[in-house]
Amino acid sequence: MEAMLKNLASTVEMLAVAAQSDAVKHWDKQTLSRAFHWARYCEHVFSRFHNNAAIRRIMEKQLQLTNQTLRDTIPGYTEVSFSDLPRCQHLLLVRLLNNPELPSSLMKMLFDTARPVKTMHGEYEDVTGLCSHIVQCKSVYKVLSPLADMSALGADAEVQGEMLMERLEALLNQGSETCRAEHFLGSVLQGCEGALQQFCVVIAAALLTSKNCAAQTAAHDFLLDWLQKNHSLLQHMCSLLSPTLLRDLAKEHQKFRDAFCNVLKKWASEMEYSLNDSEWVLTSTGPTVSFKKLTELFLALFEASPSLKGGVEKELNALKISDGDFDVTGLSVWGDLLSALNT
Amino acid sequence: MSEQQPLSQPLQTEEPLLNDQEMQFWLDKAVAWGQADSPDTQKDTCLHMSRLRDFLQQLLTQVNSMSSTTETMKRLPFLGQLLGRLCWNPYVTVCDTSRGLLLGCLWELYSERPSNAVEQKANQWIRKVLCQLSTEEDDTAAQALMKCTGVPAKEYHLKVLRKKVALLQENVGQSCTLFNSQRCSCDRIVAISEACIPIVACPEASSLISLLLQRPVACVTEVLSEDFLDALTSAYSRQGLALEEQALVSLWYHSFSSLEEAVLSLLQSVITTGLTPQKLEQQVAQSLLPKACAQHCSVFLVVNDIFRSVLKQAEVNEFVKALVQTFTKCFLKELALLKPQTSISVKAFFPQSPSSLLVPLLTMPSEMPQGAWRNHLNWLSSSLQRLTEEEEEGDGDGRSTRGHHNVFEAWFLLVQCAHWVQVAVQLLVTSGTEDGDPFLWLLIFYHYPTNRWHHRASQLARAKEAWNHIRTLFSGAAHPLPSDRLQSLVTLVSPQPEQQSLAPSLTVSLLVNVAVFCQLPPSGSAEVLQAVVDQSGLLDEAACVLSSLELRLNEGSCLSRDTVHLRIKELQKTITQMHSDGT
Repeated sequence: MEAMLKNLASTVEMLAVAAQSDAVKHWDKQTLSRAFHWARYCEHVFSRFHNNAAIRRIMEKQLQLTNQTLRDTIPGYTEVSFSDLPRCQHLLLVRLLNNPELPSSLMKMLFDTARPVKTMHGEYEDVTGLCSHIVQCKSVYKVLSPLADMSALGADAEVQGEMLMERLEALLNQGSETCRAEHFLGSVLQGCEGALQQFCVVIAAALLTSKNCAAQTAAHDFLLDWLQKNHSLLQHMCSLLSPTLLRDLAKEHQKFRDAFCNVLKKWASEMEYSLNDSEWVLTSTGPTVSFKKLTELFLALFEASPSLKGGVEKELNALKISDGDFDVTGLSVWGDLLSALNT
Repeated sequence: MSEQQPLSQPLQTEEPLLNDQEMQFWLDKAVAWGQADSPDTQKDTCLHMSRLRDFLQQLLTQVNSMSSTTETMKRLPFLGQLLGRLCWNPYVTVCDTSRGLLLGCLWELYSERPSNAVEQKANQWIRKVLCQLSTEEDDTAAQALMKCTGVPAKEYHLKVLRKKVALLQENVGQSCTLFNSQRCSCDRIVAISEACIPIVACPEASSLISLLLQRPVACVTEVLSEDFLDALTSAYSRQGLALEEQALVSLWYHSFSSLEEAVLSLLQSVITTGLTPQKLEQQVAQSLLPKACAQHCSVFLVVNDIFRSVLKQAEVNEFVKALVQTFTKCFLKELALLKPQTSISVKAFFPQSPSSLLVPLLTMPSEMPQGAWRNHLNWLSSSLQRLTEEEEEGDGDGRSTRGHHNVFEAWFLLVQCAHWVQVAVQLLVTSGTEDGDPFLWLLIFYHYPTNRWHHRASQLARAKEAWNHIRTLFSGAAHPLPSDRLQSLVTLVSPQPEQQSLAPSLTVSLLVNVAVFCQLPPSGSAEVLQAVVDQSGLLDEAACVLSSLELRLNEGSCLSRDTVHLRIKELQKTITQMHSDGT
């Protein structure tokens, strides 16, 4: 254990060196392979112990200590957290490439196109062509991405949804610490600042992943509950996602169906008739939704659950009656909604 | 990608050949490609890729010849802009070659010891471009998720790519079942195959490419783009393509040039290396071509046409004949494996062969009781004799070309089914003096298909003479070996400048068969064989006939007598011994 913590600390120090120090100037092929070897070691340690709360706490403590020391000695030091460990190699690569002292010979090696990766260089795995392979992989995807496929979400969103779900499952599996799962979702949401629509698509993709086992179902439920607690996010989802996607979600999850239905009713209740534009306008702050869009979303909901239609229409009718039961446009949003839904 | 003419000749002189116009042309292209992401832009990029590679190659050579980055920047002021734009074009960076050239050019601009601010700035820029290219994410959600879930970027990109490939595969697979419906999905398949042109050699896309190739032809419109097939063919011939078996078979089925290339490369490897019969069979089977032929009649017809034209030019080349025989044998095996599913009659595969001879020749000796061999071969010999006589009598009148064609086709079929020629030799040597003529005739026809009748007759006489000498030598009656007999035989067998000498392969095959099947004790037999082979210099040929005899006997269990196998082993030992003595 002690040795492992020592290795962990050394690797974090190595990452600091890779980013800031001009010691990198003297690195050679062997040093580079060794650095990646240790980064891989940390990834391995993470995958081995991240489920073990006790060891995780000890490791976190060690990281804290090492980070502290490094912060004191290196100005502008970027900390390495426990959650950074599974992508240590990536961190190393980014830091090295951003370090102007990295010898050009090593850069050339990383971008070598001639040799395939995964050969052994001495006792360490060769990293020749590592970057070249990444560039190729990204390029292949970009070449294929304009092609239409069978997914309503897109390959990237599907993968992102799966990543989110897998992590959520893992966190929930670790026992009663739901706060960590909540914290995780919060961090993702925060990271997606400025890309809300994308985040909504990822959540949708996550909710549409398969639920073949109890763990998966639990993760879905957790995400749905979290969504209901984040009401503004839920409203954004209902306004930003396409009606077909919302229909699919409503079909898949009873909880989502109910929440979706409530959001729609809330929006309708907050609409006022604008005499200037001769149409119903949402007055509340939050996403802008037109009357036409609201109608479309109600129809999507009914498509997802035809049995819901009768109940909702009855409810709308009751509300219309309470508004005076007039059949004149612009007097009751419920009445107008009912007639729009039935044309 | 279809190979286009290079823009200009490769740089060989001192004078730089790149001019501003060319640079401007590519810069304009790079700008245009970067601005729109329409199918037309993609097509244009793919179409120019080969020319662009040539251009980058020239650039690389030219920049390399300059003294410093400062000089390069002065003489090629737009170079940085061009390279920078190309770095962000996935169609350029997806291919190993063009990516390598592009990076090569960038590195040529890099100064190990920057001597001024311009060079320093260039260095910084190159590092920045490379760093962005490999580590930067343009997708915010992806970045956030990678950070929070701990999934490394490399793994993420692989996952997304695999997902996209899987989704497209679903697409391609689904359209297979749609072909009877009203909506034709072939446009989509064309689009996918065109988009795959730049990535044919990419391992991650190979499953998609396989699926595209194996999609059943369901629609009247050709569903795979010609450029896509060309790109696959050229990648395959550069050995930059890892296709699974069935996809390769489909590629041959779709693309004539790839099939032709595969057959020619098989021919080449067989002719230049001179393999043992066992190795030959192995190589033929490994080439997958027999399997492809069994699955697609049209592939077999093309392969046979290639063999046919090679044989017309090299009828006496024993390597080619051995290849054709082995190939047909492997093909028939593959066809038999498919039998329950395939309903195509064997005649469809051999439309030009004389139909009366087809089934009798295609039948393997092992499929028939040994007692029936003699009659079968007598019938074959007399049928062929009649056919040649009929056709050759017509020489001189208008039927001549057609006559030659028929004789050639009969002979070609015999070469394909030369196992019967080998059985004829075996029967000739085991049956004593009587009834040998039809077998000898068959041998002569096999070795001299296109000669005129009187020529064949004189060869027949020569063969009889050689056969008599051989029989006497192996009769065991005369010991020690009668030197006059030995000498006459050696003269008959040895390759001579005059054209009329007997084909060595014919005599060697008689010789070896007698040595195996005669009544002499093994050591005596080996002694005679050794003497003849040694003096006539036909060591390799004898070794080859022995192994092919061994292969045939092992395989068909035609003759499972242990003594025969022991004799073959003994003779092989003698020959190997001679080989090592000789070297």
